[in-house]
Amino acid sequence: MSHMEWVYALLLTPFATALLAFFSRGLGAAARRAATLFHLLGITLMLVLSLGTAFAVLADGPISAAGGWFYIDGLAAIFLALIGVVGFLTGLYSIGYMRHEVDNGEISVPTLCTYYGFFNLFLCTMLLAVTANNIIMMWVAIEATTLGSTFLVGIYGQRSSLEAAWKYVIICTVGVAFGLFGTVLVYSNATSVLADPSGAVFWTVLLGHAGQLDPALMRIAFVFVLIGFGTKAGLFPMHAWLPDAHSEAPSPVSALLSAALLNCALLVIIRYYIIVSKTLGPAFPRMLLLAFGIMSIAVAALFIIVQRDMKRLLAYSSVENMGLIALSIGLGGPLGVLAALLHVINHSLAKALLFCGSGNILLKYGTRDMDAIKGVARVAPLTALLMGAGALALGGMPPFNIFISEFMVVTAGIHSGHPWLMLVTLLLLTLVLAGLVRMVARTLLGPSPDAVARGELGVLTLLPMVLLLAMMLTLGVSMPRPVAAALDSAARIVLDQGDAPLAAGAAAPWIKTTAKPVPTAAPAAGL
Amino acid sequence: MENIALAAILVPFAGAALTLLAGQKAAKWLCQLFAAIASICMAELAYTYAAAGKVAHTYLVAAVGDTTLFGLTVDSVSVLIGFAVVVLGFLVAVYSSAYMSEGNREHPHEGTPRYYAFLLVFIGAMAGLVLSSTLVGQLLFFEITGGCSWALIGYYQKPKSLASALKALLVTHVGAIGLYFAAALLFAHTGSFALSGLAGLDDSAKTLIFFGVLFAAWGKSAQLPLHIWLPDAMEAPTPVSAYLHAASMVKVGVYIFARAILSAGHVPEIIGVVGSIMAVATLIYGFILYLPQKDMKRLLAYSTITQLAYIFFALSLSIFGSNLALKGGIAHIFNHAFAKSLFFLVAGAISYTCGTRSLPALKGLLKQSPLLGIGFCVAALAVTGVPPFNGFFSKFAIFAGGFEVARTHWMLLPLVILAMLESVASFAWFLHWFGATVPGETSEVVAASSKVPLAMQFVLVVLVIMSLGSSFIAASWLG
Amino acid sequence: MTATLIVNNLAGLLFVTSLLVMGVSRPTASAVFYSLQSLVLVLIFVTLAATLGAGELYLWAASAFVTKVVLVPVIMYRALGKLQDPAASRPLIGPTGLCLAAAVIAVLSYLAVSTVKLAVVAELKPALAVSLGHFFLGLLCIVSQRNILKQIFGYCLMENGAHLTLALMANRAPELVEIGIATDAIFAVVIMTLVARQIFRTLQTLDVKQLTALKG
Repeated sequence: MSHMEWVYALLLTPFATALLAFFSRGLGAAARRAATLFHLLGITLMLVLSLGTAFAVLADGPISAAGGWFYIDGLAAIFLALIGVVGFLTGLYSIGYMRHEVDNGEISVPTLCTYYGFFNLFLCTMLLAVTANNIIMMWVAIEATTLGSTFLVGIYGQRSSLEAAWKYVIICTVGVAFGLFGTVLVYSNATSVLADPSGAVFWTVLLGHAGQLDPALMRIAFVFVLIGFGTKAGLFPMHAWLPDAHSEAPSPVSALLSAALLNCALLVIIRYYIIVSKTLGPAFPRMLLLAFGIMSIAVAALFIIVQRDMKRLLAYSSVENMGLIALSIGLGGPLGVLAALLHVINHSLAKALLFCGSGNILLKYGTRDMDAIKGVARVAPLTALLMGAGALALGGMPPFNIFISEFMVVTAGIHSGHPWLMLVTLLLLTLVLAGLVRMVARTLLGPSPDAVARGELGVLTLLPMVLLLAMMLTLGVSMPRPVAAALDSAARIVLDQGDAPLAAGAAAPWIKTTAKPVPTAAPAAGL
Repeated sequence: MENIALAAILVPFAGAALTLLAGQKAAKWLCQLFAAIASICMAELAYTYAAAGKVAHTYLVAAVGDTTLFGLTVDSVSVLIGFAVVVLGFLVAVYSSAYMSEGNREHPHEGTPRYYAFLLVFIGAMAGLVLSSTLVGQLLFFEITGGCSWALIGYYQKPKSLASALKALLVTHVGAIGLYFAAALLFAHTGSFALSGLAGLDDSAKTLIFFGVLFAAWGKSAQLPLHIWLPDAMEAPTPVSAYLHAASMVKVGVYIFARAILSAGHVPEIIGVVGSIMAVATLIYGFILYLPQKDMKRLLAYSTITQLAYIFFALSLSIFGSNLALKGGIAHIFNHAFAKSLFFLVAGAISYTCGTRSLPALKGLLKQSPLLGIGFCVAALAVTGVPPFNGFFSKFAIFAGGFEVARTHWMLLPLVILAMLESVASFAWFLHWFGATVPGETSEVVAASSKVPLAMQFVLVVLVIMSLGSSFIAASWLG
Repeated sequence: MTATLIVNNLAGLLFVTSLLVMGVSRPTASAVFYSLQSLVLVLIFVTLAATLGAGELYLWAASAFVTKVVLVPVIMYRALGKLQDPAASRPLIGPTGLCLAAAVIAVLSYLAVSTVKLAVVAELKPALAVSLGHFFLGLLCIVSQRNILKQIFGYCLMENGAHLTLALMANRAPELVEIGIATDAIFAVVIMTLVARQIFRTLQTLDVKQLTALKG
């Protein structure tokens, strides 16, 4: 198979899986089994194809398909691989989680089929969003992610979940309409200056002619794009939908929303950032990103510290981390960009882990209220262990991965002359750590209520968490070569440096494929 | 040599993973085993280092391009302190195996694998921090010790102990911000995280980095204004207090400060001025708070705060050019670790046997349990610096260094005198409690006490001996 | 009367129709006015196509006619006819306030557009200003209305604004692009309508002020 065919197969697999899952409703008694089987096959195939595509990009350079409508470069490869990994693991978790929900009569078998259908459709739209080169299609795909996941958010059909679904669909479509306006501005700007207007719709062409675009229009366009796709990425003050949707959705969907969806919107922002930096110079877009970033961190930190609802706490942590990523890109320089991209990966793994863990707790205790959840360590020790380690990791405790990317952000900040901003950021991150540790202390430790039966829920709800934690530890202790290479190539794209090596050793020390061999697996070997 | 040093760091981590997987019964034995192996590694390192003529070395472990990320420094200071923290870790592991049992009258509770695993991680992190040659390595282990301390202080899972644990974690994490800044600044100026890069910097850059390190050091070593976590941290199981709040965690601060001074060559005097003033302020503050304490462990916590202030004072004095004060300070890290651990473990043994650690309830210890009486006596004398115990020698060196520096910097003289006065006054105060608890007729609680288990007796005896002899080891080692 | 003048005047008419969409109390009436507005939009497309000689715009006009003049209003009319919640029909801002806000938006959009220097739109700046203003008018509709059905119309207005901008500034875009946007917009309306119906069935209300279970 050529690389192009890989891409088509990758996009078609979840779509076909979705259709099969929808149709298995009609299979009567076999419906449940059939839908689950299709789902399992679909996500497995998608994992293989997405990782295969990402590796192909790393090995042979960018893939362009369907007459330039699809374009997968090193930057997209990271996001693609993340969707593959997170989609597979949350999909696997879904099987265990939904089995419990169906057995307990929370949802019916037809709803289960619809769930798997939308789950895969959602994956398909996200894959479309990160592989798109056509900027209009990028918008269409982001809009489609909202539409595909609205049902997933409101699946329980209760008062609060319907409210969350409504807020989600209205805020995101309206927000993304801003994105459409920005997209239209960029596109029309390009059609009027390009010799061949038919190329104006392609990101790669726009990048090549970024210097010719009208700066005033691009300035307005970037504001629209940032507000529009920033809504979807959960940046303050457009984040209002996020805590509701993340907390009301079934936990595997929360994990997918937080760990994959937010990244897709972020990628679109990064794509525009690259073009706009070239047209306007980086000062203006960076300033906006810094402002949105620090505001998101600050507001989210305050909400985290007062939160009683476990999943809302995690949702605000997503706002905080998206803010940190925006901030890091805004700091600029190779180090800032590398830190941001690494943090994208780290946050996705950590948040998927924690939402899965919160799902286990929710199934056990039937509530998300941290005043009612007590002593998980005694009820489900392995869940508690994974959850505790994940929460500490998310708070930036070594030897896990988030510590490294957060430290890189701070180093980038000091390097680029923002010491006060970094001081504020670190203090806010301390608040976040406090919130997370308090969550662990209140819910995992202490005596357990008698009403809650002891025992784990099953392998399928634990295995994905174990794998996620293992990946987090690996990334924290010793960065695997392919990840380092992918980050390196992605950072070059964001910095628009082509094949030139990232500025001399001093600027990008963390990721270099020519690292000296490490004698033993020292704890800090891959920092 | 680097392999032995790496082994000393990695063995406890590996042991922690195994301990966590092993069952309740095996955990305490595995913990002791791995702590013993780590101790042997440190001893072997010290032997090899001494046999090779005590030549300081830095080994590169991990680097990316030209940027050193992590390396090992093997010199007289790191080996001495590394030995102390790892061996004390082993002793605490042995002590814990008896203390954490149903026989404990204060907290009848069998230690869980979690406890022993975190203890091992802590030992490994301490070894890593002490041997680290880069700021980023120090930061890494600094944060790991913070995380472990949270788990260990909150071990009993009572709301109060969890709140104390959170406080300890957050305050030391705020301190870590200083280290984040110092590491990032060092990188911005030198393109590397290696501490050796400090020497080549100009004074303004050095000042900023030193303030970062000093702030972090205050956080971990419980100095004003970041001291608030230590007294509350006494909610921890007593062996944990002995290890974290006497021997290791609180020594992280003074150690990274000392390491920075050793690496930087010339240090801007402003650091010395700020360091010594804050040290003396902490000293006085700590002493004043001795007075209302009735709980033996809280008294010890404030005592630790003041003893660490002495070390900060000594290190600050060394910035003005006193080598004697530097050696005294480092020796005091070593000596105080043994003496204060002894004190905590005596306190632990008292609560194990009597079920309380409230000082007014304790009378006539010597009669009931001579070992505890002697232990109390030795610990009090050593901590307050009475000859011939170890505290005396290091304090003597600090004061001698102080007077030496004061000849050229007269402003320091009042600070040195204040510090000496504190030393005398705290001696008087400990003597007061000593007189009230150790000699005389046994009180009801003491008379009803149980026997001290053998493992605990063994540890106490070792520490009594070390409280007498550690100063000679330090002096001969540092030369 | 030149063609550009026609376009600019029709664009002005868009503004009026959106105020009607917002102003009327019954959702079904809003659907009718929305259909009317879309017809105006189609007329703009046709005029533009004739004057600029942009053949693609005829196709746009045709697809917009099918989707926006017929399909979306019919879906909305049928779906909304059954949903009645008089309590939710009182808007947060009265007609006077609405007109005032619309005027402010118009002025601001005009000022914003006046800075743009693109040859293509030199003649059509008023229309461009309307398209931008129309977008924000849709946003105004969403924030000023309590009825969640009106919020759906708000989104439709925003989308029309963006559509007009696209037609004015990039009318040579491939037809596929236009279809993509239109399809997405229809799906958005369908999904929002479905959620709204489910909310009405479960909670017996369409009032956004009743949706307050989630906070903080």
